[in-house]
Amino acid sequence: MYELFFRNFTKKVPLTQEEEALIKTYLTPKKLRKKQYLLQEGDVCKNIAFIEAGALKAYSVDDTGNEHIIQFGIEGWIISDLYSFLTGEPATYNIDAIEDAELILISKSAHEELLLKIPKYETYTRLNITGAYLAMQKRLTSIISSPLAERYANFTALYPDIVQRVPQHMIASYMGLTPETLSRVRRRISAK
Amino acid sequence: MKTKQTIAVIGATGNIGSAISKNLSKGNYRLLLKGSKQDELETLVKEIKTSNSAADVEAAVCPAEAGWEADIIILAVPFGAEKEVAKKIKEVANQKIVISISNPLNETYNGLVTAPDTSAAEELQKLLPNSKVIKAFNTTFAADFTTPVIDGKQADAFIAGNDEDALQIVTELVATAGFNPIVAGDLCVSRTLENMQLLLIQLGMKYNYNWLAGWKILHH
Ligand SMILES: NC(=O)c1ccc[n+]([C@@H]2O[C@H](COP(=O)([O-])OP(=O)(O)OC[C@H]3O[C@@H](n4cnc5c(N)ncnc54)[C@H](OP(=O)(O)O)[C@@H]3O)[C@@H](O)[C@H]2O)c1
Repeated sequence: MYELFFRNFTKKVPLTQEEEALIKTYLTPKKLRKKQYLLQEGDVCKNIAFIEAGALKAYSVDDTGNEHIIQFGIEGWIISDLYSFLTGEPATYNIDAIEDAELILISKSAHEELLLKIPKYETYTRLNITGAYLAMQKRLTSIISSPLAERYANFTALYPDIVQRVPQHMIASYMGLTPETLSRVRRRISAK
Repeated sequence: MKTKQTIAVIGATGNIGSAISKNLSKGNYRLLLKGSKQDELETLVKEIKTSNSAADVEAAVCPAEAGWEADIIILAVPFGAEKEVAKKIKEVANQKIVISISNPLNETYNGLVTAPDTSAAEELQKLLPNSKVIKAFNTTFAADFTTPVIDGKQADAFIAGNDEDALQIVTELVATAGFNPIVAGDLCVSRTLENMQLLLIQLGMKYNYNWLAGWKILHH
C-alpha cells in the first residue's frame, strides 16, 4: 500500500524505521477508479496525492468546455492543485483518474504537522517542490519557444511511459494542440 | 463540495445501515455497501437504484476494499461487532472519517455495557487511533429516516468529534440524510448522546412510540 511512497522517499531522504512508522500514521490510502475525480474545480484542494499505481491527469476547462491538460501523473509521481493546496483558494484544476489508481493522500493538516515534527519530511517536501518548479520552467520554456516537432520529440523522450499509456488526444491537449495537428507532427517525425 | 465523496457503509443490510444508505443515495455521494449476506445486499442495491436511477451505489466485496476506496466509513454494525470490523479496516481507515453509530445497549435495554467514563465512540477511537472517529446518527431511529419530520418538526441529529474538518463534512452528511444537524461537542460528549438514545428507547417502550421518535431542542 505504501511501498513505492517510502521507496521514493528514502531515495531522497533516508528514514529510520521509527520515522517511517510515524509518517505512516499521517497518510491516507485511497483507491480511485478510472474516470473518478480526485478534485473538481471550485473545491479547495485539501490533499497532495502520491501515485502508488495507475495514472491521473490535472486539467482546466475553458469557457467552451475544452479540456487543457496541465499535468499527467503515473506511479511514483505527485499530483495536486498546489496553488489551491497552499493558499486555500478554490482549485482551478480538475484531477481525475485515467486508469484505476492507488493513491497515498497527504492532507493539509497532516502535511503541516509532518513539516513541524519531522525535519526529513521538510527536506523531502523541498526536493519535491524544487523538482516541480524545474519541470514547470522547462514546460513553460518549451511551450513558448520550441518548435512543435521538437516539443513532441522531447516529451516522448522524457516520458515514454505516458505516451504509451495515455490516449493521443490527451497528449495533444497537454501539448496545446488539436489531435489533428498532433497526428500531422507525428507523421512528419516518423517520415524522417 | 463538488467533488463526489465515496462512503463505505459496513452493515448496510441492517435496520439503520439500509436506512442511511437509502437517504444518502440522494446526495452527491458514491456509496459502497457491505453486509455479510450478499443476496440481501444485492436486493438493497437494486431497491435504491429503482427508486433513484441516478444513485451511485454498488455492493462491495469486503470491508477492507470498501474502506480503501472510501473517503468516509460508516460503521452500522452492533457495538459487539466493532472490534472485529475495526481490525479489518484499520489500515485502510488511516486518517479517514469513521462514523460511529452504535449504542452499546445491554440485553434488557436498561443500561449500557460501557463504563460511565467512556463510550462506544471513544472505544472505537482507541481501536482506530489514526482515524477521525465521529459520533453521528445514534439518536435517530431507523424509522426516522423515512419520516425525519415528526409531528411537524424536523428531528435533530447530534454529532460529536474532535476534528473540525471532519465535523463539518459529517454535518453536511446528516443534513443530506434529512435531519437537523447539531454539533454537540468533542468525542467524549458521545457518552451523553449514547445515554440519550437509551432513554429514548426506554420511553419508547414505556409509551409505545412505535420506534418513530426523536429529539428536538426547543430554543428561541
Ligand atoms: N436500529 C436503529 O434504529 C438504530 C438507531 C441508532 C443506532 N443504532 C445502532 O446501529 C447499529 C446497528 O443496529 P441495527 O438495528 O441496524 O442492527 P441490525 O439490523 O442487526 O444490523 C446489523 C448490521 O451489522 C452487520 N453485522 C453484524 N455483525 C457483524 C460483523 N461481525 N461483521 C460485519 N458486519 C456485521 C449485519 O450484517 P449481517 O446481518 O449480514 O450479518 C447487519 O448488516 C447498532 O450498533 C445500534 O446500536 C441503531
